[in-house]
Amino acid sequence: MSKTVMIVDDSASIRQVVSITLHGAGYEVIEACDGKDALTKLGGQRVHLVISDVNMPNMDGITFVRELKKLGSYKFTPVIMLTTEAADEKKRDGQAAGAKAWVVKPFAPQQMLSAVSQLIM
Amino acid sequence: MDTNDELAEALGVFMEEARELLAQMEEILLREEAGGGSEEDLPALFRCAHTIKGSAGMFGFDEVVRFTHVVENVLDRLRNGAIGFSRQLVGVLLDCQDHIAGLVSTIAEGGTPDIARSDELIAELRAWTAADDAAGAAAPRQLPAESAVRVAASGGGGTGSDYWHLSLRFAPGILAEGMDPMCFINYLGTCGRIVHVETITDHLPTLDEADPELCHIGFEVALDSPAGKEEIERVFQFVAENSHIVILPPHSKATEFIGLIESLDEDSARLGEILVACGTLTPQELDTALRAQQQSRQDTPPRLGAILVDSGMVAPAVVGAAIEKQQRNEEKRRSETKSLKVPSERLDALIDRVGELVIAGAGTHAQAVKIQRRDLQESASLLLSLVEDIRDMALRLRMVAIGEVFSRFPRVVRDVSRELGKDIELRISGAEAELDKSMVEKVGDPLMHLIRNSMDHGIEAAEVRAASGKPVRGTVALNACHESGAIIIEVADDGGGLDADRILKKAIEKGIVAEGANLSTQEIYQLILAPGFSTAETVTNLSGRGVGMDVVKNNVEALRGTLDIDSVPGQGTTIRLCLPLTLAIIDGFHVGVGSTHFIVPLDMVVECVELPTGLDHFDYMEQRGEALPFVRLRQLFGEHGPAHIRPRVVIVRFAGKRAGLVVDRIYGKCQTVIKPLGPLFEQVPCVSGSTILGDGEVALIIDVAQLIQGVVTRNWQATHGGTARGATALAA
Repeated sequence: MSKTVMIVDDSASIRQVVSITLHGAGYEVIEACDGKDALTKLGGQRVHLVISDVNMPNMDGITFVRELKKLGSYKFTPVIMLTTEAADEKKRDGQAAGAKAWVVKPFAPQQMLSAVSQLIM
Repeated sequence: MDTNDELAEALGVFMEEARELLAQMEEILLREEAGGGSEEDLPALFRCAHTIKGSAGMFGFDEVVRFTHVVENVLDRLRNGAIGFSRQLVGVLLDCQDHIAGLVSTIAEGGTPDIARSDELIAELRAWTAADDAAGAAAPRQLPAESAVRVAASGGGGTGSDYWHLSLRFAPGILAEGMDPMCFINYLGTCGRIVHVETITDHLPTLDEADPELCHIGFEVALDSPAGKEEIERVFQFVAENSHIVILPPHSKATEFIGLIESLDEDSARLGEILVACGTLTPQELDTALRAQQQSRQDTPPRLGAILVDSGMVAPAVVGAAIEKQQRNEEKRRSETKSLKVPSERLDALIDRVGELVIAGAGTHAQAVKIQRRDLQESASLLLSLVEDIRDMALRLRMVAIGEVFSRFPRVVRDVSRELGKDIELRISGAEAELDKSMVEKVGDPLMHLIRNSMDHGIEAAEVRAASGKPVRGTVALNACHESGAIIIEVADDGGGLDADRILKKAIEKGIVAEGANLSTQEIYQLILAPGFSTAETVTNLSGRGVGMDVVKNNVEALRGTLDIDSVPGQGTTIRLCLPLTLAIIDGFHVGVGSTHFIVPLDMVVECVELPTGLDHFDYMEQRGEALPFVRLRQLFGEHGPAHIRPRVVIVRFAGKRAGLVVDRIYGKCQTVIKPLGPLFEQVPCVSGSTILGDGEVALIIDVAQLIQGVVTRNWQATHGGTARGATALAA
């Protein structure tokens, strides 16, 4: 059974690259353009991993993760945050919200793939 | 000392350090330009800029930090091989180095930094930094590709019989963080072959206490993998900090690590750094261990090695090897920093006191001789010889290598040869010859003039050189060596040599010599040292204005030195400076004329003979078949005291010339502390200073160089005779 990954990012190009990479590796991908959109699209369906940007309109990544962790069905779902190296503060916020894994922007698709496979292989 | 003083002192240290680092940068850049750079040069160059930036930041010199940061970036790229050296880049970097020096001194003096110049140079550097972004963006992409290759290689399975051992104790809350321990173990399979997994259930609580959302099990994994420790550690990069992950290398790795430690570069002095460098410890593990060390509540925190071994991060044998290595490095470092920096005024004070001690010792000895106490004489002599040893040592403290001055000339030669459009090489030898620090400071300017002159007037244009069959590249050689208590510095070029006819013609034109004067070639050469003399057909930016050579001559003479010129037409010119090694204390030769005492520097005394009779109306005598000019000190200084029936001749030599000094009595060798004559008597000719003898008498120190010059040319009697006589009045 292929596993499902959700990518939450306001940049369409990033969503696209991540989708292509993960599809290529055999994952199902759900795309969402911000936290709010993501929560709506999830709607209780099974997701193995969530990748989320931090800076997004409507609902930022940190709030999104905090909300996600409140939902029983996603309590154990691993989250990868996308951070910029300069934003150490943000990284800590993300960890506090429940996102223990991160990938530093800008990243290469391969890097993203290896992070994903570490968590849901 | 209050904080301000400490800051000021630290600032002094920073300035000194920055100066040294900048000098080092310059040296390396010039070497690179000449194509003679070595492997260590680039990291060293980077470190220079890096250190300056770091320390400048500490002092809040933001402009230095801002500018040096850009330079550092370029140097970093050079170091990584992202860009290569070009002539143009070296030029810009040299300008940057100058600018940093300027910034540092301006800001330290409280001035406003030249930000416009910074920006100008930063813009110039952009050619080498802009490409960086592209390369930088490409860099991370290489990383996964590389590890992919490694994974593929490990797919075939290792051949070693021993395995990596991983001990995994995940934090109980790991599941709630979305991490599945099994995922990590699965992913570990990409690094190598998992040989065995043992599940540890020791901490499993009883069923009624068990929380299904917590993780209570641990794993012991045997992994067969050619991967490095860091790569294996990366598998667990997302595991929370309170999980306990220990990665033990295979046994065969331990010997590999020890071998690596042995072959490491000799520069890290920290145990952790050594272990990380050889790969047995990952930076993250080091971090954890250091934190454990800091958090230890014991009075003496546990040693890092003990922590590493106890926590199983590194094998004891590897730690042992690293500690040994560390000790060797430290020893090496200690031997490298055996020199001390001492403010020069402290040294001067010491030498002054030692000088007084020498005089007092000589006085005691003289007293002992006077009262004819054998035992006292003996102990006084011993004391005196010990004090003399101390004096020699104290003087040696002030000695520095002439190379300190020479080191600034490669840059000068480079810049000047560009400006002149000539290809000129500077060859330096004898840079290790030592002389007094105060001399080193004063000899730089005269040498600079001489070198510029040689390059400008000495070395011919390339086409002229080619036409006369010489190598197109001209050479200016700078040599230094010791010769009987003096240092000889030569500036030699392989240029066209001096044109005696042209010099003479010019000198007559300028009215320096009378027409029809009969001069030897040597004398003609000396004319270029006359004020207002210049033969250069075109006045260049550098020289040719007729100031320079006479200034050089004056500077050298002020140091009690001489200047000789030697030239072979078509082959080059050599200018030879002969300077005393020190200005403070000398071994003197004590002589007397009438009731006056004189000191002749002992280095210059060759021998003493009796004055042959019947020479009353001569001023030269025959010695071993050669004519020896002499001067009667009695006449020179207008001494009227009772004359000796058998006068002696003290034969002195300076810069290859010999002359005799006719005196009444010879007292012998004595320690002489040179006391300046004071501004009123500075102009008195033939006397370079005074000293106080053991019995409190004042003696004048004879300026042999000037005297010989006078004896040889016989020109002092007319011009200086009167004043010289005045000097004895003062001494008496």
